[in-house]
Amino acid sequence: MTPMNEPNDRLDDALKNALRRQEAPDGFADGLMARAAQQHSTPEPIHRDSWLRFLTRPLVRWATLAAVAASMVLGVHVYQVRRERAEGEAAKERLMIALHIAGAKLQLARSKVNEIRTDQSTNHQVKE
Amino acid sequence: MKKTKAIRSSKLKYYGAILALLVASSIAARTQDAKIPPDVEKLSAKAKETVEVTMDGPMLHWASKFLSADDPEEAKCAKLVANLKGIYVRSFEFDKDGAYSTADVEALRSQFRSPTWSRVVGVRSDHDGDNVDIFFKLENEKMAGIVIIAAEARELTYVNIVGPLEVDQLADLGGEFGIPKLSRRSLSKAEKGDHK
Repeated sequence: MTPMNEPNDRLDDALKNALRRQEAPDGFADGLMARAAQQHSTPEPIHRDSWLRFLTRPLVRWATLAAVAASMVLGVHVYQVRRERAEGEAAKERLMIALHIAGAKLQLARSKVNEIRTDQSTNHQVKE
Repeated sequence: MKKTKAIRSSKLKYYGAILALLVASSIAARTQDAKIPPDVEKLSAKAKETVEVTMDGPMLHWASKFLSADDPEEAKCAKLVANLKGIYVRSFEFDKDGAYSTADVEALRSQFRSPTWSRVVGVRSDHDGDNVDIFFKLENEKMAGIVIIAAEARELTYVNIVGPLEVDQLADLGGEFGIPKLSRRSLSKAEKGDHK
């Protein structure tokens, strides 16, 4: 060992000392395995704290299902009522048009009869 | 055994005949007042505009439920249709004169030459060619229906209203002479609404 190499050798020794193989303490492996098994078997705590947690209660679950079903029935009913109303309004329009046409043709007949009467009375007056 | 089968078969035929008779008579009763000759129905193919309204009793009463009492015109209509059994209208508007024949009109008129019908108006106009016929149906001396056949140069209209009605009230609904153009447009809207 030369005096120039002395600091390097000391550093080398220090590193070897720090990185030397050490035996694990007793029970370390068992403890590690037990913790790993525990982590895999338990559910994630984030799910437990979810806002959907209340659905796990049977009463709430049934109430939610009933509400969904009721809103679906209501939706179908509203749709049917609206459809019936639209059909009824269309039928009313047709009815009114039919009556308008009938009324217009009655008035046409009336005006023709009046025309003929006027013509006849004019002719009668001319003859006299 | 064979005898039983024969009896069963004859019974079935008997009931079948009765059923057929009932169906036929009900169809005949329904269409009795609403016969439109096929040739006249075909005119819609030639027509520029066609108005077809067929409303039987239940349909008529259902439609009248949507008439508003607040609207004076709709209130008049509601009063008019309250006791009606059916309304049938065919109105064809053509592009040119002579699109339909006198035979077509005669086919319509001939149906109402029967003791139950009386022709109360028959107008034949030489100068503009407009012909209008009005037939009344009387039952127990009461008005039970009206048929109007108006044959104009470019328009043929057939109206059949079944049931008692006030003719003056109906004429009031006519508005100005002729069919308002707006009505035809709103009918096409109404028909579109039906298909929705």
